[in-house]
Amino acid sequence: MSNWLAETIHQAEKIDDWLSPKRAQSLSLLKSTAWPTRQTEAWKYTPINVIERAVFKSANDPQIQAEQNSCSKIPNLQAIDLIFVDGIFDRSASTQLLPEGLTISSLSEGADLSWALSSFNQTKPKHHFFGLINDTLATQGCIIDVAEDQCIDQPIRIAQSFSLDSQSHTRILVRLGKRAKVTVIEQLQGDQLSFNTSFAEYQIADHAYLEHYRLAMQCEQAISVGGCHFHLGTSSQLNSNLIGFGSQLSRVDMDIIHTGEHSNAKANVIYLLDGKEVFDLHSAIEHTVANGVSEQNIRCIVADRANAIFNGRIHIHRNAQKILAAMNNRNLLLSDNAQINTKPELEIYADDVRCAHSATIAEIDDEAMFYLQSRGVNRGDAQVLLSFGFINELVDQMNNAAIAQWLRPILRQRFANMEIR
Amino acid sequence: MTDQLDEALAREYEAGFVSDIESRTFAPGLDESVVRRISAMKDEPQWMLDWRLKAFALWQKMPEPDWAHIKYEKIDFQSIAYYSAPKSMDERPKSLDEVDPELLRTYEKLGIPLIEQQQLAGIAVDVVFDSVSVVTTFREKLKEQGVIFCPISDAIKEHPELVKKYLGTVVSQKDNFFAALNCAVFTDGSFVYIPKGKRCPMELSTYFRINELNTGQFERTLIIADEGSHVSYLEGCTAPQRDENQLHAAVVELICLDDAEIKYSTVQNWYPGDENGKGGIYNFVTKRGICHTNAKISWTQVETGSAVTWKYPSCILKGDNSIGEFYSVALTRGAQQADTGTKMIHLGKNTRSTIISKGISAGKSNNTYRGLVHMGKGASGARNFTQCDSLLIGDKCGAHTFPYVESRNPTAIVEHEATTSKVSDDQMFLCRQRGLDPEKAVSMIVNGFCKEVFKELPMEFAVEAGKLLEISLEGSVG
Repeated sequence: MSNWLAETIHQAEKIDDWLSPKRAQSLSLLKSTAWPTRQTEAWKYTPINVIERAVFKSANDPQIQAEQNSCSKIPNLQAIDLIFVDGIFDRSASTQLLPEGLTISSLSEGADLSWALSSFNQTKPKHHFFGLINDTLATQGCIIDVAEDQCIDQPIRIAQSFSLDSQSHTRILVRLGKRAKVTVIEQLQGDQLSFNTSFAEYQIADHAYLEHYRLAMQCEQAISVGGCHFHLGTSSQLNSNLIGFGSQLSRVDMDIIHTGEHSNAKANVIYLLDGKEVFDLHSAIEHTVANGVSEQNIRCIVADRANAIFNGRIHIHRNAQKILAAMNNRNLLLSDNAQINTKPELEIYADDVRCAHSATIAEIDDEAMFYLQSRGVNRGDAQVLLSFGFINELVDQMNNAAIAQWLRPILRQRFANMEIR
Repeated sequence: MTDQLDEALAREYEAGFVSDIESRTFAPGLDESVVRRISAMKDEPQWMLDWRLKAFALWQKMPEPDWAHIKYEKIDFQSIAYYSAPKSMDERPKSLDEVDPELLRTYEKLGIPLIEQQQLAGIAVDVVFDSVSVVTTFREKLKEQGVIFCPISDAIKEHPELVKKYLGTVVSQKDNFFAALNCAVFTDGSFVYIPKGKRCPMELSTYFRINELNTGQFERTLIIADEGSHVSYLEGCTAPQRDENQLHAAVVELICLDDAEIKYSTVQNWYPGDENGKGGIYNFVTKRGICHTNAKISWTQVETGSAVTWKYPSCILKGDNSIGEFYSVALTRGAQQADTGTKMIHLGKNTRSTIISKGISAGKSNNTYRGLVHMGKGASGARNFTQCDSLLIGDKCGAHTFPYVESRNPTAIVEHEATTSKVSDDQMFLCRQRGLDPEKAVSMIVNGFCKEVFKELPMEFAVEAGKLLEISLEGSVG
């Protein structure tokens, strides 16, 4: 492994741009951080040795045929598109005309934005190993700024696709001014062997509202490690939806930090795994102040030889009273060789709070199966129907109808192909 | 209210007295010669010494675990004396009449009557004082029934075939840091063997007491329930009130053969230290049982003492249709820290496990539930239900839950639920409205909160546990 890491550090040391002071800090941390192993709690169930085995080239390498972005279009979305191919911003393919109150810059042009420099790395946990790699190597990405009191009707879609053997590191920085409102969609696609880290940081100011989607739909051979990290101000609201298809290795870290009172966060997560896919979600909800609300629903279906990992933490700090926090993790295990590893954690230092978490693992209910079959539905269809019902509940809760509509047939298709015992 | 709370927290630890008993104690320090000396003191056969030395060699290479949610000053293993026994025990007394009266008085003060005639009918007690077993009551009567109940040091000599066959099969020498240490330096403990098809005619019980300054207690308990047998075993413990921390690193192994049942109950009341966290027992305990076909192990624990508790009574459900149960109440107050829970390893078909854990934190304490439920590939039709509830009393304490759930079998069903809350205002209001004072009301609510666990305890223990909780909560009305 040390070769890969040594090469990474060597590359990072050559980068010189406006983020260099920040990169230097992360670089020194990276040098003192050990490569995670199965003994490292945060990577206990996640097989990261696949990264060691493969050789990747950066997108500037002439051997990588940077084609055009291969992310599927979402019909009727009418989004402001930000297109990335193998981690490089494709300005010509992206939407040029922006509505009033919205500023979007490429990460490489961020030098003039003092707020961007000061909020870089403020929300993301400092010691995440691949987060540190992203800190040091991400030269591409975008900076989105929504001005105060602006309601952006068009959703912003950040579409990233990845081609064979590519290696890319992108960073997204989003700031919502007071009382602003916006929808951001992070779409990641590509099923060939590639390695990417993509971290997004969101600063949601007082009374602002963010509707967030991360469609982590890379599958099969792809290796993807990333995260979305939210910083919530007073009375702000977050509604986040994460769709995860597994791949050779797919890991997402989600951090929601409540720093203002009366903030409200809701996160719905769906993951569907098949083949030998792995999907790992580590979420942390930090209630640092009183009167916050958070709700998480995680639904997961695992088939064939797939491995689903969930680690969810709710942390209520001292004096953060009157918190209402709930986490619900439900899993369907459909095959003898699949596995589910889940760990819903509570860490609570305030007494006047109501916190609950629950986790269940089971297969499809026999009685429900029997009922459908007795009505003449064949076994395969019944399975699709029941599995689909299990997660459609969360799809129904999506506020953006275009995404929900686009997603349903894709999910249904995925069930139909799933290797069920 | 705060006054009341302070008062409650400053409550005397009732078992905190020191008995003036002359002891023969090893000088502090740990090396191979200490292990050899302990073995020699016990007049052990060579195989036992070899087994200890292997454990000691393994322990020296192990790092001290740091994953638990506890903070404590690093233990200096060289400053602990690894053996201490009352001088009067040099010649082991043949009967109670020969036991040092000061020792008997100690147990009388603790409310453990050793005179057989005075006992509540039906409880046999093995009494462990520092490093030695002082007396085992009803030993002869049990022997008539084929039940072996004796100090483990006697069992090594008298029943080597049983000890050799089972010792270390559930908790091996390299299991973990503290278990390895125990394997090397364990001094005494209880040994129980219930023959085939026998229902043990009385409750068996061990009472542990640490008395000597700067010693550690390392006892080892081995319980073997042969096919179709049944036994209920109780364990209690206390220690004097001292400013120094003392280490207690015990190992308990349960072997539950086909169709057998073991019920293991603990009321742990080691000295918890003062309200600032000075003194108290460091309780690092490894408890594990293995269930063969149709067998059942039930762990019930009430944890109220110790400055630091690190304890995970576990079940390996190896046989088909076997059952594991874990019922726990952990109460922390002052500066106590508890990291406790269970592991249920489902390997056999149709295995079932239930986990009910109730954590109550008050004062500046931290109370953690840490558990593992593992459904192995072969655990078809297995079921687990876990419920862990935490109650917070006061705003300076913490309650944490870290459950690991791993499933490798689609037909296994796992359910986990956890909630955290304070004593609800509605419940308080209802009780107050009926004329109960706030203290009584809280006590009643907390007792109700723990009811599911208390009802699993044998009667005498349930009463003791209820009282313990009541005293501990006195005045801590939130």
